[in-house]
Amino acid sequence: MNREHIKIKVKDFNFFYGEEQALKNVAMDIYKNEVIGIIGPSGCGKSTFLRSLNRMNDVIPGVKYEGTVTLDGKNIFAHGIDVVDIRRKVGMVFQKSNPFPKSVFDNVAYGLRINGEKNKDVIAEKVEKSLMGAALWGEVKDRLSASAFDLSGGQQQRLCIARALAVEPEVLLMDEPASALDPTATSKIEELIQELKKNYTIVIVTHNMQQAARISDYTAFFMMGELIEYDVAGKVFTNPSKKITEEYITGRFG
Amino acid sequence: MFRKTAKMLGVLILSVVVSLPALSQEMVQVRGSDTMVNVVQRMAEVYMQNNPGRYIAVTGGGSGTGIAAITNKTVDIANASRDIRQQEIIRARNSGVEPTRVVIGMDCITVVVNGDNNVDRLTVAQLGAIFRGEITNWKDVGGADMPITLYGRQSNSGTFVFFRDVVLKGDYSDRMNRMNGTSQIVEAVRADRTGIGYIGLGHARAARGLRVVRLALREGGEYADPTNPAHIAEGKYPIIRTLNQYIDGMPEGRIKDFLSFEVSPEGQKIMSEMGFVPIPSEYVEYNRTNAGV
Amino acid sequence: MARIKENMIHGLFFLNGLVVVGVLCGIFAILVFTAAPAFKEISIVEFLATVRWNPTSYYKPSYGILSMIVSSLMVTIGALTIAVPLGIGTAAYLTDVASPRVREVAKPVIEILAGIPSVVLGFLGIVLVGPIIARVFGLPNGLNAINGSVLLAVMALPTIISLSEDALNSVPRSFTEASYAVGATKWQTVVRVKIPAAISGIFASCMLGMGRAVGETMTVLMATGCAPAMPRNFLDPVRTMTASIAIELGEVPYYTTHYYALFGIGLVLFVITFLINMAADAVLNKYQVKVR
Repeated sequence: MNREHIKIKVKDFNFFYGEEQALKNVAMDIYKNEVIGIIGPSGCGKSTFLRSLNRMNDVIPGVKYEGTVTLDGKNIFAHGIDVVDIRRKVGMVFQKSNPFPKSVFDNVAYGLRINGEKNKDVIAEKVEKSLMGAALWGEVKDRLSASAFDLSGGQQQRLCIARALAVEPEVLLMDEPASALDPTATSKIEELIQELKKNYTIVIVTHNMQQAARISDYTAFFMMGELIEYDVAGKVFTNPSKKITEEYITGRFG
Repeated sequence: MFRKTAKMLGVLILSVVVSLPALSQEMVQVRGSDTMVNVVQRMAEVYMQNNPGRYIAVTGGGSGTGIAAITNKTVDIANASRDIRQQEIIRARNSGVEPTRVVIGMDCITVVVNGDNNVDRLTVAQLGAIFRGEITNWKDVGGADMPITLYGRQSNSGTFVFFRDVVLKGDYSDRMNRMNGTSQIVEAVRADRTGIGYIGLGHARAARGLRVVRLALREGGEYADPTNPAHIAEGKYPIIRTLNQYIDGMPEGRIKDFLSFEVSPEGQKIMSEMGFVPIPSEYVEYNRTNAGV
Repeated sequence: MARIKENMIHGLFFLNGLVVVGVLCGIFAILVFTAAPAFKEISIVEFLATVRWNPTSYYKPSYGILSMIVSSLMVTIGALTIAVPLGIGTAAYLTDVASPRVREVAKPVIEILAGIPSVVLGFLGIVLVGPIIARVFGLPNGLNAINGSVLLAVMALPTIISLSEDALNSVPRSFTEASYAVGATKWQTVVRVKIPAAISGIFASCMLGMGRAVGETMTVLMATGCAPAMPRNFLDPVRTMTASIAIELGEVPYYTTHYYALFGIGLVLFVITFLINMAADAVLNKYQVKVR
């Protein structure tokens, strides 16, 4: 694999919910246009880690962190950094799809509007582009003004992806995006991710190991807040370096 | 459980004991005009001090309420700052009540304007026109060029009715502010350079920042000042009403005793102290022939 | 045994519900039956569509309540114009933007505001708000619709703030996070996502506030001048339906046309409040279906 450029570099990262430490000394290099899969048992800190990458944890009161997370070389936790700008560049798709109670069109256009875009034509164009990017355009192009809730579960999730794509992020964080979907919808999402990685860097948390094996280029195995192993996906799943990784992979514990 | 019963029993006994004086039929019940309630209450207090063992209860509720109560035989004396109406007399007679009237004092309706307003005299005709809304600017009655702002009482007030029937002989202007009580009128006129209002004499005496308007019965007549007792005694002031009490039949016993106190010099002194006018001579004679007090 | 108890409890709640409905229907029935005789003397058109209310007139009594209806609507709309934006804005500020310390101070203050008796507000209207209004607008006094609107806004504000806050707090966290995730600020999220999502609860709070304003008696009686003329603008004194009933019912001789007519006003008030609630319900239902 041709690894060009480190998009996100995590160094000596420690994270605390109040007194409780959730992440210990995590270090990871995330390269451009790769899919990084994050696996690990429940409570191991994978979601916490993911949410740290776009400072989504800031909304929780009482959180503390040490260390750095740099995006294109700039520490996102530095003083004076514009969080809004970080979040525009590092988009997020959540576990349970959460479209706004608005129309399909307005959902996707939301990010554009709040970032100051006023031109109707530009908005319409970008909405179409995002919906295409999320492989949803064909299914919704005739009902853009329908409520987002009229879509199926899988469609809603792709709508959320389109919404995230609309602001033209550089990185996409996905927190178990297909866990609430049926197998057909899941495979659609997985196909989409393979397409998206051509233009975006993707970090995806999943508790489904087979999925991680299917779609990730690199895989990170977390346990109890520590990054145990981080390597090429093929290697992690067939010949892991650490014993504990192997035990997890083979289902010795969940 | 026993404690609770004992407590309740105690309260019951106490309330019976406390109300014994009332139950003993020695209580004279007086009800009616809000204009009169304070002065009659004061007279009752002094009377009870002078006559231990006698009990007088005085409440307000309006002249109409008092007259209705006398008709229903629920009270002994009705206070009324107006005269009883014909229908009310008929209704009373139908219930077997013969209303007898005693005049216990007089009330001057005083017209006040703001202290900075130079208008200090009006004829009754002008006053009526002002409150009917026909004259709307002070310059039309010798004052500055500014609109007149009217302050009066609510329609349930005896003073409202009396002023209308005697001065306006028509309806009040729709734009008159209806205030809830004399003190509100006083405060409003005090704060408003363009204001004019009507209040009882007692309140006018105490009010700074107001100018009392002298009234003449007609153009070219003499302007009478209600704060001048001589003008009132000489009958010069045009807006004056009797303060009445109505009793069923000829007064006797404790009722007569209290009434006699009210019309006595001691009672009348209280009347003046509270800002009202003592009974003029013609009504003294009237009380004697009509009610024997 | 448990079965019987269950049935008894069911019966009790059902009875409860019946009593409530019964009381409401009873009140309506009393209003209708007591007001009905008035319309033998007064035509309904005269009652609802003429402007002079003067049952104790020197000349011929008139029973038109149009000025009163307009007065009531004026102070209500005035109150809502002030209280709705202020209330929703405050609720939004308190739920999302304010620091916990600010919130700690603000909440009890709002509760206290809600507990101020209407007579006290009326008094403040006369001695505080009135003179300020008089000075600002160059009027002889401050007894007018604006005064009433300000006071009623103060009464409606705590209701609107509390209920809007509840509505905003029940907006699922997922919407807020989705909004932040595309780079929205706190205020943008509140205004563009949370308020629209909570709109049914917010709307209900405004309706409740409106109900309070329409039915308020003491405050408007004290502070709005009670002049019966049809108000020309907000700087004129107003006489609401509630104030008229309160002033006159005490001294009106029973079972006269005037008496029946006062109940007629009460009936109109009841119907107006009822219609407001029905409209609120309809809007709520429509919105619930949309949001799912």
